[in-house]
This record gives sequence, structure tokens and C-alpha cells, in this order.
Amino acid sequence: MKSADRMTDVVVVGGGHAGVEAALAVARMGRKATIVTIDATKLSLMSCNPAVGGIAKSHVVKEVDALGGLMGRAADSTGIQYRRLNLSRGPAVWSTRIQSDRIAYSQFVVDYLAQQKNVSVLEGIAAEILTENGRACGVRTESGELVTAHAVILATGTFLGGLIHIGEKTIKSGRRGEPGAYSLSESLISHRFELGRLKTGTPPRLDGDTIDFAKCELQPGHEPPPYFSYRSTMREIDQVPCHLTKTSVETKKIVSDNFQQSPIFSGKISSVGPRYCPSIEDKFYRFAERESHQIFLEPEGNGTSEIYPNGFATALPEEVQCQAIRTVVGLEEVRLTQPGYAIEYDYIPAYQIKPSMETRRLSGLFLAGQINGTSGYEEAAGQGLMAGVNAVLAIEGEQPFVLDRSEAYVGVMIDDLVTRSTTEPYRLFTSRAEYRLALREDNARDRLNQYARKYNLVSVEEGDAFEDIRTDTDRVIAALRKKRVKVSDLGELSQRYQRAEMVTLDNMIRQPNISINEAVQLITKLDPTIADNMEVLERAAIAIRYRGYIEKQQREIDKFKRQESELIPADFDFSSVTGLKREALDKFVHFQPGSLGQAGRIEGVTPGDIAVLSVFLKRHNESR
Amino acid sequence: MTREKKVVSSQKKAASPQFDDTIAAIITPPGEGGVAAIRLAGRLCLSILKTHFKPAVIKSSKKIVPFMMRYGHFIRRGETKATDEIMAVYMPAGRSYTGCDQVELYCHGGPQVVKLILDELLASGARAAEPGEFTKLAFLSGRIDLSHAEAVAEIIAANTESSYEAAREHLVGHYSEYVEKLRDDLVGIVAEVEASIDFPEEEIESAERASLLFSIDEIRSSLVTLSDSYRGGRIIKEGFRIAIAGRPNAGKSSLFNLLLRQQRAIVATTAGTTRDYLSEWIDLEGYAVNIVDTAGLRGKGGAIEKAGQESAQRIISKSDLILWMIDLAEANWSKQLTSDLKMLGSTPIMVTGNKIDMCDNHHLQVKSYDGEIICVSCKTGKGIKDLKRTLVALVSENLPDLTSGVVVTSARHKSKLTSATRHILTARKKIADSVELELAAFDLRQAVADLDEITGRIYTEEILGRIFSKFCVGK
Repeated sequence: MKSADRMTDVVVVGGGHAGVEAALAVARMGRKATIVTIDATKLSLMSCNPAVGGIAKSHVVKEVDALGGLMGRAADSTGIQYRRLNLSRGPAVWSTRIQSDRIAYSQFVVDYLAQQKNVSVLEGIAAEILTENGRACGVRTESGELVTAHAVILATGTFLGGLIHIGEKTIKSGRRGEPGAYSLSESLISHRFELGRLKTGTPPRLDGDTIDFAKCELQPGHEPPPYFSYRSTMREIDQVPCHLTKTSVETKKIVSDNFQQSPIFSGKISSVGPRYCPSIEDKFYRFAERESHQIFLEPEGNGTSEIYPNGFATALPEEVQCQAIRTVVGLEEVRLTQPGYAIEYDYIPAYQIKPSMETRRLSGLFLAGQINGTSGYEEAAGQGLMAGVNAVLAIEGEQPFVLDRSEAYVGVMIDDLVTRSTTEPYRLFTSRAEYRLALREDNARDRLNQYARKYNLVSVEEGDAFEDIRTDTDRVIAALRKKRVKVSDLGELSQRYQRAEMVTLDNMIRQPNISINEAVQLITKLDPTIADNMEVLERAAIAIRYRGYIEKQQREIDKFKRQESELIPADFDFSSVTGLKREALDKFVHFQPGSLGQAGRIEGVTPGDIAVLSVFLKRHNESR
Repeated sequence: MTREKKVVSSQKKAASPQFDDTIAAIITPPGEGGVAAIRLAGRLCLSILKTHFKPAVIKSSKKIVPFMMRYGHFIRRGETKATDEIMAVYMPAGRSYTGCDQVELYCHGGPQVVKLILDELLASGARAAEPGEFTKLAFLSGRIDLSHAEAVAEIIAANTESSYEAAREHLVGHYSEYVEKLRDDLVGIVAEVEASIDFPEEEIESAERASLLFSIDEIRSSLVTLSDSYRGGRIIKEGFRIAIAGRPNAGKSSLFNLLLRQQRAIVATTAGTTRDYLSEWIDLEGYAVNIVDTAGLRGKGGAIEKAGQESAQRIISKSDLILWMIDLAEANWSKQLTSDLKMLGSTPIMVTGNKIDMCDNHHLQVKSYDGEIICVSCKTGKGIKDLKRTLVALVSENLPDLTSGVVVTSARHKSKLTSATRHILTARKKIADSVELELAAFDLRQAVADLDEITGRIYTEEILGRIFSKFCVGK
């Protein structure tokens, strides 16, 4: 090891969304990070659709941003269309989505890393995990270069054992046109990791110049454009629209006639793909009664006419893909610039990591992103950031940074990963968060600023500045409670008040028939002096609107925290709990829950099992 | 020790919390009885049995065989003479009620003997079981779910056969199944709502709003029916409550005493907390009936009488039937009755005219009143048979049909069902208006959580604590 070509603090394998956030977190905490990646010009390249965010995912982007991460800024700075989703619902599930220029996005990240202190990028394919005294201490690349480090983070994406399928054809590859990493899987197996296989897919790319957009429904962006990052400032751009179209009767026929040509049905692929993101052949197969499916046409960028047809992922033979997609409304003359494909890759079922993202088997080794069985850029970024922070904390002998389910979607995701068996690529949904009303886009910094400051993930000035916003918000909330207005000034809303003549703004905001946006607009009209910042006013209004529910939810959160605080010591021997049902015992040994609360969330574990466990745990703790 | 361990491990099934403790308690009701049963559960119970139980030798077998009832003698340590002739049975871990190694002893029911045996068991290493502890073990071993555990509590509390039947039905799981089904339906609705939140851009073939609302209403009405069955369930469990009320000196106490003398009293007389009413349980043709003798209403008097009247009003309002007594010998009873009945509210009333022995022609008198009047003489006992026949008819009329449905008998369940119904109603409004769907989802999830607390899916320390403290030793 002494002859190492390079020495660093943390070596990060993979330069995707997870790897980049991991390296940046390490660097912000004052440690050196080296990214080992196949192509240093393709950092954070969006392998699938050219968009960041969406329902629940945007919450993660905001959380990553609050913790100093880059994803939000990269999307904001390279966006070509900005939208807010779910505006007809309440603010807890409002979500932001940005269509970004794929090339510009990656370039933004490359440029950012180039000027970031403490981060270096090494081109190469990781082949082996180096260990010393049972700890991960670096990687060897296929070309024989050694990078030694105090911790290793694997963020391999679809490159680990990647195998592309197009019809009957298979290509060993991590992403179209790029090699995969194969020796690394062997190295992991030699360290006694259990590897699994997952599948995902991507649609063909289309030449936009050959599309008849007039036949499609226009989907413009929203003005003013919503941003992810609190650091972003207004960009003057002309937003590019997306288009909505749909498959035809012929599409269904062609796809159905060719089911057997798809590796998904021919038996060539046995691994599981995501149910929430099925291929077009899967859609027609599983929902045979549906005549048509919608397809979103998303532009790949400003400098290109390339289009990403969202909803048409496929692994059918190229000629069938071409024939089938030309039956989609508006795509009759379309030319494919690249075929769609399915890709299988290796992952490490996540019971093998701790909530800190460190593996149980090999200390110093951390995993983030698709290697943990997740899917999605945002999910990857969130994990990468947490792995980066925890790698540094481990090196420094500090307690790990673990977010719980009541604090962040990132916490919900990681807890789900370590307490559940992944059978399909994992994606976040707002319904996975039991404390959804408390985990909003607008309060990501309220929830996480304290940690960002504690771990030096944001500058002191940024951390302090937010505390001012928080104080401001509290002041506005108090003012809204005090300020009384004439019911007759409330327009349509006045019908809600039969007897009262005056009403507080606080009360007005809580009326279900008025949206937050309407309330905010009305308030600025009635009393422009109440808040000098629209963002603060909106934050205050949301807090007021949800107050009753949040208070109810808070009681549940308190209960949840009590169970979470009943820790199960690492040396606890589950097999000493003789009263457990066999299934529960196996699950506990498998997942090694760290708290009683976590143990209770494991599938197949009953309240009875937890009651028994709690009895033994109490005795165990007393005897110590 | 090692030998017993072998026995245990060879018999052991998966579910068996091997607590270090061994617990013992008398499981038959307190008081004199023909036979008393004592239960032992835990690690030591087999060795305790072997120490004290000398089986009568049948052929050559002296071995304790699981589930075989053996006859023999209980012998205290250091003695040679048997304390009592007993029957004993051993149930190995994993195959017993508690999931632990378990032994049951049946001895003669004299309180002295039972106490001697129990004391001896405690001296040999067992400890006295806490209230509900056997059932707690059964729950912990996964043998019964939470709603079963509560039903067991009700069997313990059940006083009569009819009560027992309802509790048994409950135990068999009809009720659990029914609530589970409602829960599943409700989760289906939650899924619909969640889908529209998480996938706003996709063409989710979600149910039309109208049909979603229809499903919600169906679930809600099932829940309401279920929670309404609580009155019936309470009657089954606590007995049908009959208040004997009327003006002073109508003969209320005489009737009360007469009924008691003629029927088997279930529980010893207990005075009301304010010493102004008497309450008794009687077995009326298999129904547990709680009759309450109240203070006279409408009488004049001082503070004590006033207090008595207030409590009488309270009892009347909580009764299932009012037995309103009138003094037929009183000249203007008919006028009084008409005005008295006005203040009694909606509870069924059975008017009983007393003192027919003092009237010359009560048949004629009674005709001057429109409603039905049961005529009795508490003094001579005349008419009491008719009165009881009418009472039985009224009780059975007001009881729920046990064979056709499920009945809620636990106050805790009733409150959870009510809460679930309320949450569903709140959610329904939001779904109907198509506003704040994330809040509708929140309310629906709360409703699911309410039902989870009935079926015991979600573990909460608080519920367990409350349920298990409700048990008394010996079920």
C-alpha cells in the first residue's frame, strides 16, 4: 500500500449524482475526496430523462440543498423549463420539477468540481476494494492504479455488472456506449457481500425535427420559474415547452405482437424492474384493457433537437421500437437518434448497510445510490450526501449523522432501505412519509439548517442568514394572528362569515376554500406592510394553514421518537430472545435493527414480537 | 434441571416466551366451590409439579405425559400426608395457552385447601401472577391477538351464559375478521387518494369521485352500525339495567326485595356510592339483569332527599328499562302518572301498579289509563309472575341478535370506532369538495390507525398497559 499512486481521505467510486454529492460533502467538511469515474467529462450525466425533481423527489432536492448539496443549483442554473406540480393540492405535496439541458447540467457540475477545493477526479474503472486490518482503505483500478484512503464510497449506478438488452441482443455496458465495472462485483463477493440483480430501462431518443408537435398538446413552463435552491437568483430565459401525446391502436397491436421479442418476456431478463416505471411492453401486457398510454415529449436541451419520449421505455428490438413509436400521434415520421434499452446491474440488498450507509461487513466502506437498490437522481444525491458526511465522521471517530423519518424524506428513504427487503428499484413517494405534512419543500431548511451548520456543510453566513428568515417568519405569524380585517373586504370569502364583521388574517388563512396563493395575494393587498418578503409570508401562511394538523401529527412524532430512542445495542444477541417467532428472529438477525422503533417497521414482524423483544431488551439493559 | 430442559426443548414450538419467572394463581372465582383450579406457567412449573404431585400409579406409568390428566395427591414439602386429592395436567411450551410450560391443578374448592396449595407453590419458587398476566403471556407468545386478549378479559367479567356467548363469539375471531375487512376496505380508499397525490400527471384510472364517496359511505355506515351495537354489547356484558323508580312509598323497595328473594342474586348487595340506591344482579331466565332501587322522585324533603332524587335521575337516564311504580291506592295516581311520564325521556318504560290488595277493583281503575299497566301486589305476591314474564320479553326485545352479527362489547373499541367514523367524515368532506386531499389522506390514515388499535396491528405500550391492567387473576 505504501507505493500508492494516490492518497486521499475518501475515494468515491462513480461520478453520478450520488458520487458527486458524496465528494462535495467530504470536501466541505475539510477532507480530501477523489472521484474515480470512467469518463471525467460526464459527471452527473442524466442517464434517463432530462429532468430533476417531481413529487417527493423535489423534497429531497430541497433537503440536499439545505444540507449544502449541489443538485438544486445545477438544475436551477441549467433549466429550460420550470414547473410546480400538485398546486391544486396543499403545500405539503407541492413539488418542483425542472427540465434541464442535459449537456449543460453535466458541464455545470464538471466546472463546479474543477473550482472546488479538496476534490479531484481520476479517470478509471474501479476493480478491487483494498482492505487493511478489516477496513476498506482504497481501490485498485483496472489499469492498476491504486488510490488509498481512509474510507471508500461506492456509487456505481448501473455500471456495476451492467448488461444492456435490446431485443435478443445483449451488450456488456454500464450506459449506452460506455463500459461497465465487472471485476468490482467479484471483489465485493470476495468480501462476502450478497449481490442481487435489478433492472431498469430507458426509452429511445428522438430527432425533434422529425416530430409533428402541432398534433401534440403543449405543456408550457410556469412563470415565474420556481427554483430548488435558496441560493439561486432569477434567470432571464425563454422557457421551452414539453408536449403531451399518446399511443394509438396500432401501437398496442405492434407492441403486443412482439411481446416475445422483448427480453422482459422472453425470459432473458429475470431481474425485477420498477412497477412505477414500466416499459411500454409491460404497460400493454399488464393493462391489456387500456387502449392507449400517454407519452411526454421532453426536450433534451437548448442546443439540440433531441427529444426524450417519457413513457416509452422499451427493450424491444430496434426495428420494432422504430415501427411502434411511429404509430404514436405526432411521431409518424420520427427518426430515432438512439434506441431504448433495458439494463441489468448488480446491487447490494440494503440490509447490508447501517443507517449511516456504512456496510456492516466492511467498516470504512459506504454505499450510495443504485447500489443500494434505489432509482432516481434525487434519491441517489440524498444518499451520496449522507454517505459523504458519514465517511468523514467515521474517519474522525464521531457519531454518525442519521436523519429520522420525522425529519426528512432522506431519513424516510434510508430507514425504508435498511428495514425492508428491496424487490424492485426503490423510489420515493410522498405517501411513504407518515409525517408528510411536516416534511415540506418550504420548510426543508427549518428541518435541516441545524445539521448543515453542525457539520459545516454551509458557510456560517448562510447558516445565520436562514436563522434570520426563521425569526422573520415567526414575527409574521404573530402579526397575522393579531391583524383583524373587515369581512366585507374579503371578496367571495366573506360568505364564509355569517355573523362576524371583523376577522383575523390567521382565521382567514385557515378557511379551506381559499388556497395559500390566494390568501397570500389577498394579504399583500389588505396589508402590504405585514411582510416585506413574499417567501416569508408564504412560509407563515403555510405554517398557519397546517397548524392544527401539525399539532396532531406532532403527538405521533413524539410517540415515534420515544420508540426510536429505545436503542438496541450493537452487541445484542437476538437469538437469546427465546420467545420470538422463527420468522421474526430471522428478520431481526437479517436487518439488525438499531432501535425498537426500527424493529417494529420490519415487514412480517408483529406487535407481539416487539413486545417480547422489548421485555428482553429491558432485561439486557438492566443486567449491564 | 437438565432433564426438564430436555423435555421442554423437545416439545417446544417456535412461540414460547421462556420467561425466567414462574407464575401461579387460582383461576376459578373466589369463594367456596366444589372444585378450584390453580394454574402455573413458566420455566419451573414442571419441576414444581414433580416435587409436589404424587400420581396414583396406573399400571406402570409414573411419567408425566403432556395433556394427560393425572389423578394423584398433592404433598407439601417435608410432609408425608397428602394435603388434598388432586387432578393435574401438564402442557408443554408452545402448545399451551400462555405459550410457556404450563401446569394446571384441580383440587377441592375449600378456601383453606386452595390457599395451602397455592402458598406451597409460591414457596417452591413460583410468584403470584399479576392481573391478566397469563393472557399477557398468551399475547406475547403470539398465541392471541389484541382483540382476542380483550375478549378474554370479557369472558372473565362475564357473569351469565348469554354474556359468555357474546364474549366467545368475539374470541373466535368473527369480530377481528370483520374489523380487518373494514380496515382493508379503508386502506383501499387511502390508496386511491394517495395515488392521486403522488401521480398527478399520470392517467390513473382512479375510481370516479362519486364511486369513491360511495365506498367511503359504505365503510362509514358499517362502522356506525358496529359502534351502535355497543349498547347491545354493553347490555350483554354488563347486564340489562332496570331502574325501579316512582314516587315515594309506591313500593319500590318491596318489589326490589321480592325480585331478589325469588331470583338467584349473582353478586352480594352493594350500596350505592351516595347510599341512596341499591343495585343487585339477578339471573332472569339466563339474562344477567341489573336491578336498581332508586330513591323516590317528586317527593318533598330536605337536602338528603334532594341528593337521592338527583342520583335517581342519573340512574334512570342510564337504564335500559324503567320500571315505573305507582300506588294504585293513591287517589289521583292517574293524573300524577301522566305528568311523571313526561319527564322520563325516551327509555322504554314499564308501568307497574302496586298495592292491588288495597284496591277494591283495580281492573276497573286501570282502565281509566290509556297505557298498559302491570298490576301487582308486593305484599301478597299477586301478579309478580306476569311482571317477570313481561320483563323477560322486554329484555330479549332489547338485546341484539347474537347469531347474525358482530357486537362491540368493549368501551375502548367503541371509542376507536367512533373516532374512526369521525375521521372518515372529515376526510369525506374534503374529498367531496376536492380540496386539501393530503389532509383527507391524513384523516383517513388516522381512521386506519384507529382500527389498527382494535386489531392490535400497531403496537403501543399505552394500550397494552391499559388492557392488561384490566384483567383480574384467574380467568
